[in-house]
Amino acid sequence: MSLGIRSQRSKIFFGFILILCAVTFLSGCSQASRSSGSSSEENTPATSVSKDITIIHSLPNDTLDPHNTWITLRAGVTETLLRLDENMKISPWLASDWETKDDRTWVFSIREGIQFQDGTPLDAQAVKASFERGIADSKALAAALKIASMEANGQQLQITTTEPYPAFPTELVHPTTSIISVAAENQMGKEAFNNAPVGTGPFKVTSFTPGSEIHLVRNDDYWDGKAKLNEVTFKFNADANVRTLAFQSKQADIVFHLSPEMLTSIEADNELSVSSVTSLRTHYFTYNPASSSVSDHRVREALDKLIDRDSIVQDIMLGHASPANGPFNASLPFGNREGYQKLDEAGALRLLESAGYTKGSDGKFQKDGKPLTLKLIAFTGVNPELPLIPQVVQSEAAKAGITIEIVSVEYPEVYIADHTDWDMSTSSYLTSPRGDGGSFLNSAYVPGGSYNPANIQVDGLEPILKELNETGDTEKRNEITQQAVTVINKALPHSYIINPNILVGINQRVTDWKPGAEEFYIVTHTLDVK
Amino acid sequence: MVRQSFSRIIQLILVLLMLSLATFLLMKLAPGDPVLTILKANEGAVSQSDQDQVQEQLGLNLPLVQQYGLWLQGVIQLDLGKSFVNNRAVWDLMMDRLPATVSLTSGAIVVLLLISVPLAILGAKYKGKWPDHLSRLFALIGASIPSFWLGLLLIYAFAFKLNWLPTMGSGNVRHLILPSITLGFVMAPEYIRLLRSGLLDALSQEYVRAARARGIAEWRVIARHALRAALLPVITIFGMSLGALLAGSVVTETLFAWPGLGSMVMEAITQRNYPVIQGYVLLTGVFIVTANVLVDLSYSLLDPRIRSGRGRNV
Repeated sequence: MSLGIRSQRSKIFFGFILILCAVTFLSGCSQASRSSGSSSEENTPATSVSKDITIIHSLPNDTLDPHNTWITLRAGVTETLLRLDENMKISPWLASDWETKDDRTWVFSIREGIQFQDGTPLDAQAVKASFERGIADSKALAAALKIASMEANGQQLQITTTEPYPAFPTELVHPTTSIISVAAENQMGKEAFNNAPVGTGPFKVTSFTPGSEIHLVRNDDYWDGKAKLNEVTFKFNADANVRTLAFQSKQADIVFHLSPEMLTSIEADNELSVSSVTSLRTHYFTYNPASSSVSDHRVREALDKLIDRDSIVQDIMLGHASPANGPFNASLPFGNREGYQKLDEAGALRLLESAGYTKGSDGKFQKDGKPLTLKLIAFTGVNPELPLIPQVVQSEAAKAGITIEIVSVEYPEVYIADHTDWDMSTSSYLTSPRGDGGSFLNSAYVPGGSYNPANIQVDGLEPILKELNETGDTEKRNEITQQAVTVINKALPHSYIINPNILVGINQRVTDWKPGAEEFYIVTHTLDVK
Repeated sequence: MVRQSFSRIIQLILVLLMLSLATFLLMKLAPGDPVLTILKANEGAVSQSDQDQVQEQLGLNLPLVQQYGLWLQGVIQLDLGKSFVNNRAVWDLMMDRLPATVSLTSGAIVVLLLISVPLAILGAKYKGKWPDHLSRLFALIGASIPSFWLGLLLIYAFAFKLNWLPTMGSGNVRHLILPSITLGFVMAPEYIRLLRSGLLDALSQEYVRAARARGIAEWRVIARHALRAALLPVITIFGMSLGALLAGSVVTETLFAWPGLGSMVMEAITQRNYPVIQGYVLLTGVFIVTANVLVDLSYSLLDPRIRSGRGRNV
């Protein structure tokens, strides 16, 4: 009797567990793809030939809030007042032109005849409301724009900044300055809007799964000509191997940030191609100005000559990088036009000898009986090649008679700010994300700047930066930036190593599309498939 | 019963309090600065005055005790704060991700059961013979293989070579298969060994011999008598696994871009997004403690000898 009751109880128990598993499994599946906007079926145009594409990027997104992420601009949902052209020059977009009244006041003419995806017309008032919303919702945007007041009059928007800000237009190309329909947000509510934002772009959001993917459908009323594709799926995956396998299995047509070591297997498939685009990132070494060894300019110069940039480009980056000769990529309008430093062991030895170093019986350089031993801070960051670069330099330095000890840390900036016992550190930054070098120069070479944890100061640079910060004309700014780089390169507070390339896998069925160095404009109205 | 429940709740609150304090302090000790995350310093220059302003606005310049007190005050009012990165309420962020983690947990449990129960039974039934060796070999492979590598192998085989399944993402049951196998496979060895030894122990008991003597079929003896007794230690481990699974698997979710809690917290950690990390730790604490309470309750269902206050101190 009791056995029967127990048996029944256990059946009920296991039955309950099974039902629970089944229910949660199915509910999870159905909720995993949470539709936030209107359904895909409602929005998909009834065309006989449906053209669609799948894109994978490496950075996952938790939200589609256009003022806090880049993704809505990348996905072709929103647009900015100004944009970068193929030569990284600022050009009109939602604003047809702009002028400056003084160094704090800017007037933008908003293009006529544009509607947001909800049908609201785009005028200066709508742009003003969008900026106000962005400033309220993003502290980073508020800090970057420095807007004191705005005045909207028809299609004319006048913006006054809190301080003289000639570089203001460069900020307006940034994805987080996207112009959105505040009217749509008021109607939908913030939560719903941030899952399906409304902009002026060629594609509308139909559904969004945080951290996983966005589904987009064509905006038939797009102002610059209807998009050629009907639907786009934009996915995210932080793992380079999985992204590469998805590309090779033809489950994705455009895949960003492929791993260089898997390129050989991709090249064997004639349906696939890889585009290697010079990026706006620079990997470099920072020298500790407080170090007894590398505070000597000759030692820094010697170390700079011992960096085998060609080997790093060929052996570590498999050719997908360019040697750096300054903080900015040489191909940019404000990039350094001089050649890069080649490996020069003999020159390095001469410099060290002139600095008073002599080779001991063990073949190691020493001065006053103290061997030249340097501590190099390395970190992994997002680029897998970063920890390998110090090893190449360590090997070249050892051949020349310098001992380099590599210490890996998670956050070099934090280590540098808290310690003095280091000589060199690897650094890696996007040095010109907005098509201008001013922002980097002001943060990397001014004490207290966010990219200057070592508090580096370069003699003679301050007046140049002052002039740069007061100049609005792009050509003039480029010239001053180049002057600044010349002064910096003479002082050698950093050794610039390489500009890594962005590797983008493109299926041959994709047409009328190529990746840009800025990684802003990914889904466009011209993007097409065969 | 009421007294026990009350004592359980007090224990639960104390555990969560300790957990939140430990997480809070660890996050403060860890290097990195959330202010630079908020100001998106990796995308451009940030001035010191902007940094100071944000620090003040968020109360990050207050003494640690006060910061913790403010956070705790919010938690009591069921407000876990807002994400530093996108301003969304932490609770909403977690609830967005929870369904995906729950479905992956269910998938992994199904795979776990499908692998471990048959292999454990085979191992016990044919002790020392080839099915037992096979079961041991499987357990050895499963225990040695890292989940990210197994996941990559599965993607390579089933998504790339055979093109049967999607490489990544979510949306339907097909997306769930590979991550579920990855998670279930690496968890299975522990269960195979535990269940096998439990079964061997049970099969040597007198009641099993008595059942056999009554002429009950061997499979029936195993399924209805031995397996039941062998389940008790397995359930204990299962409670712990369930809590951990519901917390989301960081490696598997990141690999398959599965939109669960694991991939969410991975991003939050790299961004020093304190409110999200603290909210997550609190939620997983609740999961683990709750799963263990459920396991305790299930003992009495499986073995009526165990009753609170008598056979076992619940």
